[in-house]
Amino acid sequence: MRRSCFCCRLHPSVSTSRESLFSQRIMSKVFITGLGFITSIGNDTAAVTQNLRELRHGIEVYPPFQKPEIPVKVAAPVKGFQTDSYDCEDWTYPERYRVKREILRGMGPNALYAFCAMLQAVEDAKLTEADWSNDDTGLYAASGGSPFLLGNMMQRMHSQGVMRCSPLGIVAAIAGTVNFNLVAHFKIKGASTGFSSACASSAHGVGFAYDEIALGRQKRMFVVGAEDGNMDSILPFAGMRALSLQTDPNKASRPFDVARDGFVGTGGGTVLVLESEEEVARRGVKPYCEVAGWGQASDGYNVAISHPEGTGLRSAIQRALKSAQVEPSAVDYINAHGTSTPIGDISEAKAVRAVFSPSGSKPAISSTKALTGHGLSLAGAMETGFCALALRDGFIPGSANITTIDPACADLNIPLKTEARQAEVVLNNSSGFGGANVSLVLRRTR
Amino acid sequence: MADAALNQGGSATQSNNPSKAFTVEDESALREALKRCSSAAVEAALQFRKTHDATHVPVVVIGVIERFVEPGLRPKLHAADDDLRMVEDLGIDSLTMMEIVILVEDVLQMQINNEELRNLRTVGDVKTFIDCKVRGLPPPKPTRHLPIEQIASVMPIQPPFLFLNEAAVNNQGAQGKYRISGQEFFLQGHFKDNPVMPASIMIEAIGQLAVLALLEGVIPVDEGKVVDPKTIFFTSCEGVRCHRICRPGDVLTLSVKPKRAKMPLATFEGSIRVGQEKAVIAEEITLTYGFMDAIVAPAVVAQTTAPIQAEEPKASAPVSAAAGA
Repeated sequence: MRRSCFCCRLHPSVSTSRESLFSQRIMSKVFITGLGFITSIGNDTAAVTQNLRELRHGIEVYPPFQKPEIPVKVAAPVKGFQTDSYDCEDWTYPERYRVKREILRGMGPNALYAFCAMLQAVEDAKLTEADWSNDDTGLYAASGGSPFLLGNMMQRMHSQGVMRCSPLGIVAAIAGTVNFNLVAHFKIKGASTGFSSACASSAHGVGFAYDEIALGRQKRMFVVGAEDGNMDSILPFAGMRALSLQTDPNKASRPFDVARDGFVGTGGGTVLVLESEEEVARRGVKPYCEVAGWGQASDGYNVAISHPEGTGLRSAIQRALKSAQVEPSAVDYINAHGTSTPIGDISEAKAVRAVFSPSGSKPAISSTKALTGHGLSLAGAMETGFCALALRDGFIPGSANITTIDPACADLNIPLKTEARQAEVVLNNSSGFGGANVSLVLRRTR
Repeated sequence: MADAALNQGGSATQSNNPSKAFTVEDESALREALKRCSSAAVEAALQFRKTHDATHVPVVVIGVIERFVEPGLRPKLHAADDDLRMVEDLGIDSLTMMEIVILVEDVLQMQINNEELRNLRTVGDVKTFIDCKVRGLPPPKPTRHLPIEQIASVMPIQPPFLFLNEAAVNNQGAQGKYRISGQEFFLQGHFKDNPVMPASIMIEAIGQLAVLALLEGVIPVDEGKVVDPKTIFFTSCEGVRCHRICRPGDVLTLSVKPKRAKMPLATFEGSIRVGQEKAVIAEEITLTYGFMDAIVAPAVVAQTTAPIQAEEPKASAPVSAAAGA
C-alpha cells in the first residue's frame, strides 16, 4: 500500500512538496462537488447566490421575540418552514420535500433543514444512492442540538412522568441529532461523527472531512451544519449580552461597523459534498472549487471571549496556508468569522493583520453574517458553501450594512459592495467557544 | 424499575380515581391528544372517560393504532381482523408501539409497563390486553411464539419425525406451521414417483402440535406440577376427514384447540389448512398424559457456588412416540 509511505512526510530528510504527494498519489486532492442550502437567505443555490451578490439579508423582526420582557427583537429565521410546534406533525415545509412521519419524529427542526439540504446536495452533485451508500462515503455533522425539543422533553418528564416522554425525544434533541438522522436515513456506511466546538463546529467538520479524503480513508464526505435558529436556540445568548438589541433588521448585523452591538441569530442547514480527485474524474463532474487545506489552533484564553490579539485565529490561518502551501499574498478573499460583536470582530481584524501585513498583501475581507446572521454550528459549513459559490461564479461578496467602518478595522480591505471579480484563493475563518479557531483554504478550479 | 420510576414521576397527574369529575379542561386536553385520530375514536374516548364503560375501549385503541399507521396501510385496519400483526402487517416498529402506548396511557388514564408490551403481536392482542387493563382483570397469558429450536428443546419427539417448523401457543390453543420440504424420508416410497404427504403423518403432525400445547400449559395443571413429557401418548382420534392432497412445497398451517381435559386424558380438535384451503379436519384427538413436580428455578442469588442444573427438564427427555400413526 502506498499510503504507508505517508509517514515519510514527517521525515525531514525526504522532500515532500504538496504537489509531489499528489502526483505520487500519496495524498488526494479534495473538491467540493455539491451544495445544499436551507438558510435565512435562500433555500437553494440559485437564491443564495443572488442574495449574496445583491447583499440582501434574511433578517426580520421576529414575531416570537415581540414581548416586553425580551430585549432582543430581530432574528434571521429560515423561510418556507414552520417548525414552532413540539409536535413534528404540525410542521410545514416546502412542497418539494416529503418526509415520512417515522423519519420526522426523530428530528428537531435542525435535522429537517439538514435533511432537505442533503436532498439538494446529492442532486446537485449528481450522486445516486449507490454512490453514497458504501464504505467509502462518510458524513460529518454539527449542530447544537435542539434546545427547543430538549426543554419540552424535560418539562414533560418532570410534569407527566418519565415514561411519558417521546421515545425518540433524545434522538431528536441532543447535539448529535443531525448526524444520527442523516447517517441512518441516507444509509451512510463510511466514517461518521459530530463536532461540538460551537461556532467552529462545522468548519472542523470540513477540515476533518478534508483529512479523511486527502489521506485516502474515504472517497467522499458529506459535511453538514444545522441549527434550529428559533427562540430556544438563540435567546440564551442574550444572557451573555452577545445578541444585537437593534430593532431595525437593516442595521442589526453589521460586522466591522463602529456601531455593531452583537450578533443576530439564525438557523437552517447546509450540506457540502467533498470528493477525491479520482472520484471527480471518474464521475466526470465539474467541482465548485478545491478544498486546498486547513488549519486550527486554540486561544487557551477564555471560555467565551476571543483572545484580544486573535492569537489562536492567527495561528489557525498560518497553519491553513502552510497546509495548502499558499503564500499570504496569494489570498484574494477572506470570508470572516465576523459575527458583529464588538470584541470578536476586532480580534479577528488583528489576526488577519498579523498574517497578511508583513507581505503587504490586502485580501478583500467581508462577513456574510451581515446577511444571514450567525448560524453557530451551521456557520462554518454555510460560509464554506458561500465561498464555493463565489469561486464558481466569479464574485466577492461585500460586507453589508456598514455605515461607518470601525477605525480599528479601517486599514483592512473591506469591500462594502459585491465585487465582480474572480478570486483564486479564498480563506474561510470560524471561531468557537473555548477559543477554538479554524481556517479553511479554498481554491478555484478551472 | 419502570414502574418505580413512573410512580415517582407520574403519580401526581394520574387520575385513576373515577370519582374525579371529567372537566371541560380534561375534555379539551383529550381532544388535543387525539386530534389526529378518527372522530369515532375521540367520541369513544370521551364516553369512556365520562362513564368508564369498557365497551368503548376497542374503538379508542383501534383509533390510536390507526393514527400511527402509514395512511396506505390504514384500510387493513377497517377489515376488523384481530389477527393483523402489528409489525409485519401494519409496519409498526417497537418505537411506534411505544408512541401508541403513551397515547393510550394518556387517553385512558392507565399505566402500562414495558414487560406487558413485549408479547403484543396482533391487533387482537393489543385490544384484549387493554380491555383487561381497563376492567381491572389480569391480562391473558400472552401468545408465545416458538421457533424450531425451542420446539425441539421442549418436545419428546425429535427430527426426522418432528413435523413443526414454528408454533404459537396461547390460552385458546396452538397454531403451527410445517413446510413439506420434499426431503422427508417417507416421501421416497409414498408414492412411487409421486410424493404425497401421508394422511397418517398429517394426523401425526396435529398430534404433535397437541403435545406441544400440553407441554406449554394449555390445560390446567395442579399446583406445583407440570405435564411430564415422558407420559404423553396417543390414545384415539375421531371424525378424521382429509380434503386435499398435500405435496412438497405446501405449507401446512396446523391448529389445535383443547375441548376437554381431565387427567389422564386431554382431547383436542384439530385442523390443517394450506393457504385458505381445508386439508384435514380431526374432530377429536385424545392424548394421555401425567404430571411431575415442577422444578422451581432457584432464585438467583449473587455468587452461588453450586452450578445450577439445567432448569428445563423437558429438554433432556428421551424421545418417545406420541401419536401412533
